[in-house]
Amino acid sequence: MTISAQPPRTVHVIHSDAEAIAVAHKLAARFAVEASVRDRERRLPVAELDEFSASGLWGITVPKAYGGAGVSYVTVAEVIKIISAADSSLGQIPQNHLGVLDILLQTASEEQKRYYFGKVLQGSRFGNAFSESKSKNAGAFETRIRFDKDTAQIDGEKFYCTGALFAHIVPAVAVNEQNQAFIAFIERDNPGLTVIDSWDGFGQRTTASGGVTLNAVKVPLNAVIPAHKAFDEPTADGPISQIIQAAVDTGIAVGALEETKRYARESRPWIDSGHDHGWQDPFSIAAIGDLEWRVHGTEAILKKAGQAIDAALLNPNEDTVAHASVVVAQAKVLSAEIALLASSKLFELAGTRSVLGKYNLDRHWRNARTHTLHDPARWKYHLIGNYLLNGVKPARHAWN
Amino acid sequence: MNALTQPIAAGQPLAKSQHDLHNARSLLDATLRFVRQQSKNTDDPFVISRFGDVHIRIEVAAALLERAEEFLNSHEDATEVSVAIAESHLASAEALSAVGSAEFELTGQRTVLPGSLQDPLRWKLHLIGNFRLNGIHPAKFA
Repeated sequence: MTISAQPPRTVHVIHSDAEAIAVAHKLAARFAVEASVRDRERRLPVAELDEFSASGLWGITVPKAYGGAGVSYVTVAEVIKIISAADSSLGQIPQNHLGVLDILLQTASEEQKRYYFGKVLQGSRFGNAFSESKSKNAGAFETRIRFDKDTAQIDGEKFYCTGALFAHIVPAVAVNEQNQAFIAFIERDNPGLTVIDSWDGFGQRTTASGGVTLNAVKVPLNAVIPAHKAFDEPTADGPISQIIQAAVDTGIAVGALEETKRYARESRPWIDSGHDHGWQDPFSIAAIGDLEWRVHGTEAILKKAGQAIDAALLNPNEDTVAHASVVVAQAKVLSAEIALLASSKLFELAGTRSVLGKYNLDRHWRNARTHTLHDPARWKYHLIGNYLLNGVKPARHAWN
Repeated sequence: MNALTQPIAAGQPLAKSQHDLHNARSLLDATLRFVRQQSKNTDDPFVISRFGDVHIRIEVAAALLERAEEFLNSHEDATEVSVAIAESHLASAEALSAVGSAEFELTGQRTVLPGSLQDPLRWKLHLIGNFRLNGIHPAKFA
């Protein structure tokens, strides 16, 4: 497998929210065709990603002042949902890229913004080397950054590095001696950076969310941003990371519901139903009705979450950011619930034949179960309840 | 009476949703007040999460009510409008029922809620499903 070292040669620049949605629909229709085959063979979507980048969708959050479309987060969530309904691995791969774009906006110097936003509009993809599987918890980092006169050196080991394998630039999180987090933008061919294709999870199989090792990686100082500032002060960065998660899961639910209807239509009638066709079964029909309103409820809250993020970006303060965190948490809970429910109901309503290997319908559930583990929904009920009952604002980090 | 024959107050197809949602919110407020009076409970993680769960159901009902209002005011076709209204009814009814059980669970008190035999919620699920699964347009429902 060859990963293209260079961005696609011609990259479209998207100029509006409506255009972003239209482009996403067009791409999703193409991505859907071989999604199942890619999952079955764990065939990494190299060509699809170049098409994805060339479409301009990876640059839609670049602010207008830097030549991008600066779309709303309602649109960002809609785009990710549309792509994820077709292939949730492809929907997940840009999640950290989009997160990094906001951290750049919040914490980079003017020169850095011009440089990296420009790169993104020309098709460069950011991967990520953020999480560590061996640190104490998700927010603890052992990867170190040491500043020299002209350079910074990064050493450490990362996991769950979605997108890194396909990236042109790998942003890596590392902490200094004061435990403050920085992000270093490391060129994919930088000596000391190794991306390992070790992801063998049973879902989201083609995200290549494997490992990255950083062995005495040196970057110039202007390739480093003080990422901790995105959380020291109230910014929408946490909710932005989270809404993309919720959008992927909402997309999985939408895709699973469509598949459920297709296969439920063809199911055999149950012996006691007195009907000639499975699609006449009153209980199956009502179960579809139930999934429908729950999917629409989730989509409606996802939209509210996007609006809350837009409000927090416009007027960042403790209250707007807390509100965005709470609404995004609602979207996160609902999308996790409906993704798991729809991808499981699929089999219940389509019957035993739907579990045959040749259909590969279990990919929806495998993807839902895997991706919804990114951060546990059980703590989102708590976050929402604590804000409501006690007025406690959510902690600010990349998972709220 | 079923969903097809239930009389709908003309021009107020969302009255049922608004009513349920309003009651759900009042009941949640009353339950919050009760629990706050027993201050030792407000840091119990399971009580806190229970409120989070109920609050989500109310927010979904509010969002689907808003969506149904938008559908009513736009030029969507009649079936899409009816389906959006039915979805809003279902969400509000679920929110009210969720708050009702949380109230009973946390306070030991139970506010009497109307039964749903006169409000054919189950047939709304069927009518939504029959349209989305089988393309069968409901004759008339809301």
